[in-house]
Amino acid sequence: MSYQLYRNTTIGNTLQESLDELISYGQITPQLALRVLIQFDKSINSALSNKVKSRITFKASKLNTYRFCDNVWTLMLNDVEFREVHEFAKVDKIKIVACDGKSTYNNDTEKNN
Amino acid sequence: MDNLMSPYSNLSMGTTTPLHHPDEDLANFQHQQQNNVYLPKQMNFAPPHAPPPPLMMAQPQTPQSHFIPMTPQQQPASVSEIPSSIPKVNTPAIDASPMFMNPMTPLDSSILPQLQNIVSTVNLNCKLDLKKIALHARNAEYNPKRFAAVIMRIREPRTTALIFSSGKMVCTGAKSEDDSRLAARKYARIIQKLGFNAKFLDFKIQNMVGSCDVKFPIRLEGLVLTHSKFSSYEPELFPGLIYRMVKPRIVLLIFVSGKVVLTGAKVRQEIYDAFDNIFPILKSFKKS
Repeated sequence: MSYQLYRNTTIGNTLQESLDELISYGQITPQLALRVLIQFDKSINSALSNKVKSRITFKASKLNTYRFCDNVWTLMLNDVEFREVHEFAKVDKIKIVACDGKSTYNNDTEKNN
Repeated sequence: MDNLMSPYSNLSMGTTTPLHHPDEDLANFQHQQQNNVYLPKQMNFAPPHAPPPPLMMAQPQTPQSHFIPMTPQQQPASVSEIPSSIPKVNTPAIDASPMFMNPMTPLDSSILPQLQNIVSTVNLNCKLDLKKIALHARNAEYNPKRFAAVIMRIREPRTTALIFSSGKMVCTGAKSEDDSRLAARKYARIIQKLGFNAKFLDFKIQNMVGSCDVKFPIRLEGLVLTHSKFSSYEPELFPGLIYRMVKPRIVLLIFVSGKVVLTGAKVRQEIYDAFDNIFPILKSFKKS
């Protein structure tokens, strides 16, 4: 089973709202909705790794805290600069949660100011 | 082979920390610089075996002129001390230096080995739930598939600890005995704050590593021939000569460049004594 990290994104939330609506109208069963979500977990990962070509770089002045447990890295960075070609963003703090992209698991970074 | 390998393993136990962090190298470097800054002070105040301006006396040839070009690189702080100490030595130096140049005086070791790493162990005397520690403490790594201990780091004193579920802990990376103990106590405190009944029993320093630079090149081929009982030099395997001193029981890695690493000590003095013993030998194999 893939990580469910992307369910709490705009696209993931929207999908869940739509599924809830369909369930409440009795058009699909909750079991089917669950299967859709599990498929979503897989598909979003393959889509992000295969279809998305844009790149973003970031650089932090300090790694404040790190943790590695259960195959998940948690990194807290201070003073982080994000750069795309033209765009630029700066934040004081960021938390990165990174899971193993290979094997059965998938990878994610999550932003959280 | 077995003979040859052990100094390495000993050294790597001593000098590196598991899952070495790239930025730690930088930090270690800075640390080292600080240490060097500290050196001249120590030289002027303390050493029981070295009179006040020993640094320059250590150079057998032309004391003052040698002193200046050499230090800026390694001991930035001592530069500032030159003006104050030079005038004192300047005139009498010509007469005084032969006296100081006697190779048998302990003055030779006015190059004081700097401690680079200390490994200590302590027993927290309570069973630990490593997963709980890894999840709640900061700067912790726990990957039971690879290693059965939590690897934790703190910044001050910059050290790494290996924490085992038995309650035993290894603390590495400190540069002094006090720092090693302080760091171990800090780790024990972190564990306590996570709700374990951690004690602080049987703290012991297991290994100390020192290093220094004699600042002249050494003929290792000559050294290995005359001290074959103690040394092994296999440049195809490792570029340094491995010298197993018997008293004190210290292993030295001696490099052509004049850099020396001393390891295997339980107390600081063993490092100093080992260097005092080896220095005259190194001088006699100085590359000309």
